Amino acid sequence: MSWKLVLALALVARPAPVIAQSGNGTTRLTGRVPAAALPAIDSIIATAAAESLPTEPLVQKALEGSAKNIPADRLVNGVRRGLLQLRQARAILTRAVPGQSPPEGHVVAVAAALARGLSGPIVERLLTVAPNEPPGPALHAAADLVAHHFDPDSAADLLVEAHNKGLRGVRLLDVAVAADHELQRPGGRTPSEALAHVRAMLPNVRPGRP
Amino acid sequence: MSPIDPRLQEALDGERDPGDLPADLREAHARLIAATQMLKATPPVSVAWRVMAEIRENPGRVQSDGPARRLIRWLGRPRAFTVRLRPVWTLALAAGLVTVLLLPWSNGGPTPGVAQGIASFVGHFPGARSVEVVGSFNDWSRGTLHLNDDNGDGIWHAKAVLPAGQHEYMFVVDGERWVPDPLAGRYVDDGFGAGQQNSLLIVRPVSSQP
Repeated sequence: MSWKLVLALALVARPAPVIAQSGNGTTRLTGRVPAAALPAIDSIIATAAAESLPTEPLVQKALEGSAKNIPADRLVNGVRRGLLQLRQARAILTRAVPGQSPPEGHVVAVAAALARGLSGPIVERLLTVAPNEPPGPALHAAADLVAHHFDPDSAADLLVEAHNKGLRGVRLLDVAVAADHELQRPGGRTPSEALAHVRAMLPNVRPGRP
Repeated sequence: MSPIDPRLQEALDGERDPGDLPADLREAHARLIAATQMLKATPPVSVAWRVMAEIRENPGRVQSDGPARRLIRWLGRPRAFTVRLRPVWTLALAAGLVTVLLLPWSNGGPTPGVAQGIASFVGHFPGARSVEVVGSFNDWSRGTLHLNDDNGDGIWHAKAVLPAGQHEYMFVVDGERWVPDPLAGRYVDDGFGAGQQNSLLIVRPVSSQP
């Protein structure tokens, strides 16, 4: 047996690392993620892939933590937390839109909304209103309102009404911007007054920049 | 220089029969005649001789031609060119020309596609030596999107074409200090347990912008 054949057999028989096999973007982590964190992160990403969850947000989280020089244990925890949010997001989508396998983009959008602090019930309610539309804009609009101290349920009410009056997609972000403008108007409005004012002008909110 | 013998001169002028000359003068006469015959022979036609002959024949024309007339005459005169090209350079030249022809002509700003939008980054960092943006749109990689402060007023800015949707990012000042964008308006916990927040950018597709 020649040495070339031996080498070829050795290469074929050698168990390749999961990183090289997974095809989930983890090859992008090699050389950027600390070696101490790489096996655990690779395992988390492989788990997400096995559960048919999106893996790109986890890859991004690992790259982010590495760029920020986050210690290995906190880096792994951050990626694991991302996996938990993706699972929670898919569970919410499955409840809100039963009988459908939720698209990856919807799972990512819901997970992002959860990361921004929206509660599961609010997310689920907004998903139910427009089950076949990309949920990102409505969820971000709700998260914007909550971040500006509007009552979450009242914020969801406003967005549902905006949807019922024909506003779709990024135009829902304009609703949140309009409510925030009303809140900051000189003279002072309470959050409920600001929401009522915007509700009265629907669907004619001013198009704005992001 | 010794004067020529008058008898020899008369013989050269044809006024005296060379046979009447003494032997030494007859020999000198024969040498002079031979030399005269050599001078009468047609000289070889060299380039210099032809140029000088042209100048002698047309002294006025050559001196009166201006640069424009000479250029026109040069352009109007048929010439043979030999072009030798290597195929690899020919292909590279063709590829370059095609690239230039296919490049979209714009007013210098970034040109987004249908599913993209333009993101503007602005930050006030007086005294900073460098400011860059790292985020999910560039795999959290350094050195890909720098802000500029051309007039040195401490206001750094950049524009970029990004995919429509949500992007998390941070500014990196002087290559080491990570700070959220104070003007982002949207923030999300980065999930690494230290309470640090990423800025959140929602890029609207150009098709939705008013």
